[in-house]
Parts: sequence; C-alpha cells; structure tokens
Amino acid sequence: MLFLAIFLGTSASYSTTLKVKDEAGREVAFPFPPKRFVSLAPNITEILFSLGLDEEIVGVSIHCNFPERAKGKVRVGSYISLDFEKITYLKPDLIIATGAGNTRDMVDRLGKLGFQTYVIYPKNFEDILKSIAHIGQVVNREKEARMIIEGMRKRSQKVIELTKGLPRPKVFIQIGDAPIVTVGKGSFADDLIRLAGGENIAGKEKEVYPRFGMEEILKRSPEVIVISSMNPKGDYQRILHEWARWKTIPAVKNGRIHLIDSDLIDRPSPRIIEGLEEIAKVLHPEKFKK
Amino acid sequence: MKIITLKKVLTISILLSLLLIFVILLSVTMGSVKVPPLRSIRILFQSILGLKGAGSETERTIILSLRLPRAILAGFVGAGLSVSGATFQALLRNPLADPYILGVSSGAAVGAIIAILLGLGTFSFGLPLASFLGALLTIMVVFYFGRQDGKIHPHTLLLAGVIIGSFLSALIMFFISVSQKEELHTIIFWLMGDFSFSNARAILIIFPYILLGVFFLYLRSRHLNLILSGEENAVQLGVDVERLKLVSYLSASLITAASVSVCGLIGFVGLIIPHSVRLIFGPDHRLLIPSSALLGASFLIASDTFARTLLAPVELPVGVITAAFGGPFFIYLLRTRKVVKTL
Repeated sequence: MLFLAIFLGTSASYSTTLKVKDEAGREVAFPFPPKRFVSLAPNITEILFSLGLDEEIVGVSIHCNFPERAKGKVRVGSYISLDFEKITYLKPDLIIATGAGNTRDMVDRLGKLGFQTYVIYPKNFEDILKSIAHIGQVVNREKEARMIIEGMRKRSQKVIELTKGLPRPKVFIQIGDAPIVTVGKGSFADDLIRLAGGENIAGKEKEVYPRFGMEEILKRSPEVIVISSMNPKGDYQRILHEWARWKTIPAVKNGRIHLIDSDLIDRPSPRIIEGLEEIAKVLHPEKFKK
Repeated sequence: MKIITLKKVLTISILLSLLLIFVILLSVTMGSVKVPPLRSIRILFQSILGLKGAGSETERTIILSLRLPRAILAGFVGAGLSVSGATFQALLRNPLADPYILGVSSGAAVGAIIAILLGLGTFSFGLPLASFLGALLTIMVVFYFGRQDGKIHPHTLLLAGVIIGSFLSALIMFFISVSQKEELHTIIFWLMGDFSFSNARAILIIFPYILLGVFFLYLRSRHLNLILSGEENAVQLGVDVERLKLVSYLSASLITAASVSVCGLIGFVGLIIPHSVRLIFGPDHRLLIPSSALLGASFLIASDTFARTLLAPVELPVGVITAAFGGPFFIYLLRTRKVVKTL
C-alpha cells in the first residue's frame, strides 16, 4: 500500500527527496532524512518519542501529554485549531497529522503555506502497528519501529493465547457519563475487547461512539463495566456511586466495575498494548494472576 | 435632529479611517510569534510598494500570508455586519435587530452542513458557496412570507424571519446530533465565528457584496431617515417607501450572507456598533452608515487580534471576544451618554 521512491534530488547538495503516499492516499514529498518534526496529535507524539526522537520534535499539539518531555515542547494548537504562525516559525521538515482528529482542510492550509504533512489514519490494533512502521520509515527510524512492533505483537499474541477458548464476558465501556457514551464498531477499544477475549455489548453499533440510554444497558446486561476516564481520581467515585443503583446489572452485582486510563485504550499509540493487557486482566482475572 | 453637514461626515470619516489604519497596523504586529513591530510594519509597506527587503522569509509569510488577510477579511466583515445591523434596525424599527435576526445565518449554516454531509466541504470553495446559496434561499423565503398585500410590514417580516430562523436552527441541531461525520465539528466552530481560514480568495468573494452593499445603503441614507420619522411622512415627501424597504432588505441581507459564508456567525458586532455610533454621533443615517462601517471594521479587527493572541496557540472564537469586550463598553456608553431617542 505504501510505495516508496527515494531518488536523488536535482540540487547540487545531493540531498535526497522521499516521495511517499500517506495513509490518506496523499502524495507527500520532503527532503530525506527530515530533521524537524511537528506532531499534531498525542498518539503521533508518543510514537515519535518511542522511536527515540526528542530534539527533532520541535512542536506538538496541546493534547500531547505523554511522555513527560512532550509537555515541554512548543505547542502549535489543538486538533481543530492550529497556530499557523507558530508552525511557520518552527520551519518543520515534516508535519505528521492524524486522519482521526485533524481536518482535511487544516492539512490543505498547511500545504498552501508550503509544509509537507504525512497523515496517518489507523482504524484498529493492526493498523496501529502499520502506522508505527510508516512513521518509522518517514522519520528514518525503521529499525526502532520494527523493534517496537515486534514487542507489541509478542505481547498481544500472549494475551490472545491466554484467553483462547474461554467464555467471552459481555463488556460495557463507558467513555462519557452525561450523556453515557460507549464505544461501537470501528473504535480501538472495541478491537481491544475482541482481542482480549470479551464481547462488546455495543460492538454491533455502526457509530464509533454511540450514545446509550440506561434502558439499553439494562437490557444488554454487561458482566463487566470498564470506565475509561481522563481524570482517574475525580469522577470515578461519583460514577461508581451512580452505577450502584442498578443492582440488576451483573457487573454491578458482582462488583466488576473497573477504571482504565482512557489514553491506554482509545489512543492509537504504542501504549495501546498496555490497554489491551489491562482489559484482558479485568475480563479474565484468573488467567493473569501471578 | 442635529444638522449634519457633508463636512462633518467627512471629518468624522477621516478620523475613524485613521483609527482603522492604526488597528490594522496593530493587528499585523501582534501574534503568537514575536516579530518586532517596526519590522512588521516595514515588511507590510515594502510589500505594498512591491519591494522585498525586510525580514526573513518566515516573517514575511507570517505577516503577509497569515496576519494581513485576516485583518482585511475581519475589516470587511465588521464593516458589513455593522451597516447591515443598522439597516435592519431601521427597517424593522426594532432596536434588537441584528444582521442575523431574519434567519440568514441559519440558512447559511444549513447550506454549509449540507455541503459537508455531501462531501463538498473538502473543496475550498464548496462550503462558502453552499452557505451563500442557503442564505439566499432563506432571504427569498422570508421575504415571500414576510409580505402582506405586496407590502413589507416590519412586524410580519420580523416574525417570518425569526420563525424561519428557528426552524432552520432546529434542522442544524438535528444534523449535528445525528451525524457522526467528524467534519461536522467544523460547523460548531463556524457557528461561533472563525477567521482562521482567511485568504485572498475569501476576501475576493466577499468584498464586492460588502463594498457595493454599504455604498448602496449609504446612497439611501436620507430616505432611511425619513422612514424612521414615519412612513406616511416619507410617502408625502415622495419616497417610494415599498421599493426602499425592498432594496434595503436585499442589500443588508446580501451583505450578511456574504459575511456568514466565509467566516461563520460573528455575533454582537451588528448589534452594538450601530447603537454605539448612534449614542456617540446621533441617529442620522448619513453619518451612521459610514461611521458604523469604519468603527465596525476596527472593532472586529481588534477583537480578532485578541482572539488569536490571548490564549495562543489555542484560538478563541472571535464571538467570545466581541461579546466580552463589546458588552461592557456598550453598557458604559448607555450609562454615561445622555439617552438619545435612537429609534
């Protein structure tokens, strides 16, 4: 799917130009190897850091909170609004954006200002591995990317083996509480539940983040509830308290309500493997006792 | 009514033009990237003269491709909305009227949403074109239902506009709540006013409407004065009142439609600028229209400059700034100025 064509540039300095098709199918051409990167999404920032880059990352989005060093980088805007001035000033060789979050219009405007943007667009666990490989290629860190992917594959394989043949508990993942929003088909968390040996009660919904009424949840009676929370301390107790009213739900009756850091399950970064392991642990605790 | 001489109009216009130039220069020197003010201004003037001396390539891009188009666009929109607001206030004889009161904005938003849902939003001209068409359609429908016996009655027109606007707003909410398309998030920004995609094309799209509209309404300013002193009065003085109402309705609506189509909904400007000008200079339209245009332009450029610098790198919706700064200023005017009978 990705075709690469490295050829010598015409300039006397013999700098090379890399021409690739990004995951949105756009042609991107930039001097290779690029030395200054701007990341427009937290998962991209995480991938870049995991590939061993740091100094080369000259700008990140305001949502980029991991690793700690990302917080010290220059902020160039949010998913939906970019500070074009800042980016112009930073003179990146390559901007990396995500199709889920950044808008097409934004990428076009960057193009008009003369910037090359590589867009990734992972849609499931397998895609994330591909995106890491693609980013590894465009930033000239292929070996590092391969190692990360191998590690992730090994760990996911282990989860799949441990949970093979076990009954699949019905899971409800709550990502918002007013209104209650869950994860449907096409979300990362839905993919993780399947890999971890569970069944997402909203897994057949076409919407990626469907809204669910309490009636619907009672009807589908989840055996495990996972609360995906941004601020683990604050809302968790209150949300737990609210669930306690619904004793007929098996998950509530049996006390199987768990909190998982949302960044681990709906952010397509290398850390999603930790999210997979955590979900598997709450679904099949007996298999993961050490 | 105080006597308005051409000399007075000219003097005030020149003073307000100087203010406008000052605000433009200020806006060009401010941003999240620090470019020394004097160098910014040198870059600006050298490019006007076709020279290419000062500043680095980066600085020139920032000043000339990012800041300047925004200031110009905000200026046109501010001028247009203020004049449109002043006209609607006179036409509907209602001090609460603003450019969006007759549903033009909601029609434009519905057009924009349909364009996004059909996938036309990816073309850079798709969204403005669709929203302009949506606005035009709304103008015609409101006009059709707002007339009685072939005449425009302010109250009927107002009711027709408000009700059609509410109906269209319901449509907007419906689309936003059922659609999963991520592009629709753009609409939310658009509903709050967004200058971030200002470029030369956007300016080219709207400046004919706004320039012609404002000029046209200025030519009618004497007649607009007469309407305010009573329609019968105006008829006796030989004014074709129905025609006047029709053309002012159309001009003000077209100005609004053009503005909304390129930068979304920017509240408050069209309401407070005309009222502020009335409080400062009096209600005569010969002075009100040019002053509103110039003051509105300065006000919106200044607001947009704050919107993009206050919390940089995150940009605030400009509507937040216009309301937050405009509101208190207007209250101040209301309290300190003697109450003039404005409408």
